[in-house]
Amino acid sequence: MAHSSSSTANTQPLKDALAQTLHFNALSLEVQNAILTAAIPKHFAAGQVIYLEGEPADHVYILASGWVKATRMTPEGREQALLILRPVEIFGDIAVFSGTPYPGTATALEEVHAWAIPAETVIALINQHPELAMAVIRKMGDRVLYYIGLVEDLSLRSVEARLAKTLLANATLHDGQLIVPRRGWSTFDEMADRLGTVRDVLSRALKALEAEGLLRVEKQAILLLNPKGLAERAGS
Amino acid sequence: MLPQQKTSDTELREKIITLFFTNSRQVFANLRVGVMHGIVHLAGYVDSLAKRAMAEEIVQKIHAVRGVVNRIEAPGAPSPARSIQLNLTDSRKIDDE
Repeated sequence: MAHSSSSTANTQPLKDALAQTLHFNALSLEVQNAILTAAIPKHFAAGQVIYLEGEPADHVYILASGWVKATRMTPEGREQALLILRPVEIFGDIAVFSGTPYPGTATALEEVHAWAIPAETVIALINQHPELAMAVIRKMGDRVLYYIGLVEDLSLRSVEARLAKTLLANATLHDGQLIVPRRGWSTFDEMADRLGTVRDVLSRALKALEAEGLLRVEKQAILLLNPKGLAERAGS
Repeated sequence: MLPQQKTSDTELREKIITLFFTNSRQVFANLRVGVMHGIVHLAGYVDSLAKRAMAEEIVQKIHAVRGVVNRIEAPGAPSPARSIQLNLTDSRKIDDE
């Protein structure tokens, strides 16, 4: 049985998290302290829901550790991955600032530690501190640019091109070899969601790229054998 | 574009929460509910698969509910984080009155 939990705050981890968050790392000590005072530490087990699509947006979250998946159900009943969030990241903010319910569901892909700040506190802090408002605007700007890229990918690029782009974006260098480690939750279904397609199509795309010698799918990782070739496919 | 919904998502959510809260066995009072486009999202914890299924059944019977995304945790239940695709064959529910 998995339950979310909150506990008394040791604020140093949040301080460290803010220091790693683009646009929030330059906030004055006064604003940082205001955030530290309001933040509630939360723990979610792997698989657990953090918030649901269509729930009232009552908190903004700062992801301190673990990966989180944000998905949205289309009106036709098809699940689309919106974001895969890695620490340190802020999420749940769009709904709070737009005054709407959460537009998607956030679930913990692995054990997650996060900080929740009540929506009304965030709004009050922004009203009091213009520098926080500016940090939020910059963050929202980044998010808009991300979604423009996602729309472009989904409408203009083939599944193979999206796959090549995603693999390159998530690759790490390991013993001189570019690899994409396959995490426990990184099933074909998850990857398909992320690419806005279905499992069968993704499987065919992986096989096609593998047949061209661009990559090799192994149990623990996907090996990127020809990054240049993949980059060319990503642009197609 | 979707037809105008007779029951708003907010009204639908309130109706479901009330139903769960007034359920005679009070086993659903702590479940979480979200509604978007007439699709109901459920989360929380119950102690059996039967109760998990019952919660979904209660929601499915409500007029204007187009589908249910059941992410309720229970012993033996699939992961709430799994990918879910709905078969929304009955979209007329939202525009037939």
